[in-house]
Amino acid sequence: MAARQRFDDNPCRPRHFKPPPCRAIVPDGPAKQALEACRTRLLVTGALFALVFAAVAFRVVEIVAVGGGAAESQIARFRIVTAPVPSHADIVDRNGNVLAATLDSPSLYGNPKQIVDAAEAARKLVRVFPNLRAAEVYAKLTSGKSFVWIRRHLTPAEQYEVNQLGIPGLEFEHEERRVYPDAALTSHVVGYTGIDNAGFAGVERALDGVLKERREPLQLSLDLRLQYILHEELQRVIDDFTAKGGAGLIMDVNTGEILSMASLPDFDPNHPGAPDPDSRTISLADRMFDRITLGVYELGSIFKIFTVAMALDYGTSSLTSTYDASHPIRIGRFTISDYHGKHRVLSVPEILMYSSNIGAARMAVAAGAEKQREFLARLGLLKTPKIEVSEVGAPHYPAKWREVNVMTIAFGHGISVTPLSFATAAAALVNGGILRRPTLVKLPTGYAPQGQQVISTRTSEQMRRLMRLVVEHGTGTMAAAPGYVVGGKTGTADKVSGRHYAERKLLSSFVGVFPINDPKYLVLTMVDEPHPNKQSHGYATAGWTVAPATSRIIERIAPLLGVQPVDESAPEVQRALMVESMQGKRIEAY
Amino acid sequence: MIKLSTLFWLVLVSTTGFAMFAVKYGVQSLEDELNRTKRATIAEEHAIRADEAEWAYLTRPETLDEMNRRHLSLGPIATKQLRISLSDIPLRVTTPVAVDASAVAEPPAEGALPTIPVPTMAPILQEKPTEGAELVKPAAAKALAKPVPPRRPRSLDELIAQVAASR
Repeated sequence: MAARQRFDDNPCRPRHFKPPPCRAIVPDGPAKQALEACRTRLLVTGALFALVFAAVAFRVVEIVAVGGGAAESQIARFRIVTAPVPSHADIVDRNGNVLAATLDSPSLYGNPKQIVDAAEAARKLVRVFPNLRAAEVYAKLTSGKSFVWIRRHLTPAEQYEVNQLGIPGLEFEHEERRVYPDAALTSHVVGYTGIDNAGFAGVERALDGVLKERREPLQLSLDLRLQYILHEELQRVIDDFTAKGGAGLIMDVNTGEILSMASLPDFDPNHPGAPDPDSRTISLADRMFDRITLGVYELGSIFKIFTVAMALDYGTSSLTSTYDASHPIRIGRFTISDYHGKHRVLSVPEILMYSSNIGAARMAVAAGAEKQREFLARLGLLKTPKIEVSEVGAPHYPAKWREVNVMTIAFGHGISVTPLSFATAAAALVNGGILRRPTLVKLPTGYAPQGQQVISTRTSEQMRRLMRLVVEHGTGTMAAAPGYVVGGKTGTADKVSGRHYAERKLLSSFVGVFPINDPKYLVLTMVDEPHPNKQSHGYATAGWTVAPATSRIIERIAPLLGVQPVDESAPEVQRALMVESMQGKRIEAY
Repeated sequence: MIKLSTLFWLVLVSTTGFAMFAVKYGVQSLEDELNRTKRATIAEEHAIRADEAEWAYLTRPETLDEMNRRHLSLGPIATKQLRISLSDIPLRVTTPVAVDASAVAEPPAEGALPTIPVPTMAPILQEKPTEGAELVKPAAAKALAKPVPPRRPRSLDELIAQVAASR
């Protein structure tokens, strides 16, 4: 023990670590409780942290992997710049010419609180915008508000000039504006828009939803060149015959595509409410009225093609049938007489050729009311046409189809249809008997939509021959466009005024198809209330007004449409258009 | 030993930190540039849209018609101009017709091309009299057969030769 004591006392002795003797600590009482609480808190905290980290990890995975990196930063600086999508897609014609475009059109506003020299700013602004009045601008800029509109919808040039002024306190607000480069030329087809570019008329209104969803321009079936020609020729007819208005339509008879559609007088869709600078007398309502799709008219004699087609298709008449047209028909308070009276018995081709009302009435009576009504319904003439413009007119026809109605409808009176419905049905008569829905949207090249066979191909062929006869020897000789084998029918209707027909107010129309031996295009022209002039020898009938216009239109548009002129006296053309029953018969020149 | 590892971690942390900030600022400046470019692209797109609309406005048929009337006076193609198809046009006459020596003032330069044979309308009409009569109206055929004034060129090649002579 003494040795050990000594050993321990030696300070130089090597010291070894020697753990103190262990004994299991068994906490008890308050110590144990404290430890348990500690452990629980640790566990909870750990779990919370794990949860938060898991959430962060989850979010990271979501952003990177799931969201495709498209998440947008809330901080403006890191936000990805995206191009503002125009609210409405552009509208172009079948060749890609812009008809309607949405343009970025900034609007200028001022913050008067930031403007230092209001007088100078007003003076400078008036120099850029001569329409503004300096006093008004000055009043606005000194109003003490923090926001005043100075001018809406600036052009890029105006925006540039305002920027050049360098006036602090003037700002631009991004806005969009619909512009129509061709102005009045396509006004009734394309239509116009109002506030926020919402479509108010035409294609703009009918296809508003489509235009909103699309990014690519909407291609119409319209051809701007044809539209211009049609527009110009119609204007010429209106001017020549001091008419109230006119309308026209060019349709592809094999697809139903409308290549051109015009109604005059018209309006500028860029300023739809503005008065016409050339003629202030024409009312706005008249200029906005689409005579092709909305207007319903008693089209007169051009309706006889349906009477003849009906009689031939039902077999109630043949090309050799004859009807007595020597005396006017008296029925009730009506007297049906012929304008180009021959006062003799006429064959079916002659009835159409000389446009005999008596003959057509007798033909229709022979077929009967039931057949006539059924036939017109089959051609879609008794229902509202469907097309990509919002303004469409419902037809007017008698509720009860009496004999007098049968007779008048036979020559196009007592039934009012839109020129669009008429053209659609007329196209079916010549294209082999297939009725196709008219459309203003361009169809893929070579695609002809499914149609409905409404008359037999044989009747259709007979109709082509008969319509050629009208232009060759009948009332429509002035519609001939040598080389393009035009076939057609004239129609001069007395306009209804009140409860009676107005004798001096005419609606002259002409439907022409070319080349009639292999129909491709239909041209419908009509002129409202034409007055005779010196050149027309006192006539204002279709043969003297719209028939020559159709000839001019066809001669101008055919080369653009790639229609090759043919020698009309060639035997194969003659054979294709021969009317057997007319052979050897003397044709009286009208 | 302890100090070495501490140093290693310190260096690693500072390098990573530096690299991270460098990358971050790099990305930021790239994003700024991207946004600038995008804004410029959008501005250009707007300008293009405006230009397209302006082009449509400036080339509308009405203006073109007016310009044509003022400067070109072109008319629509007449039907008779389209009557004859491409296959009806006879091939170039191969027999060379002597060119009036005085017409070509300039002597051919060294290594000059051989003289271009100048075809005339006369042999064509002689060659295809029946077809010509069928396609062209008699009056038109007569007009073509009529001797033309000496100063008027009878073919495009002759016109070119005349122009060359006048130089």
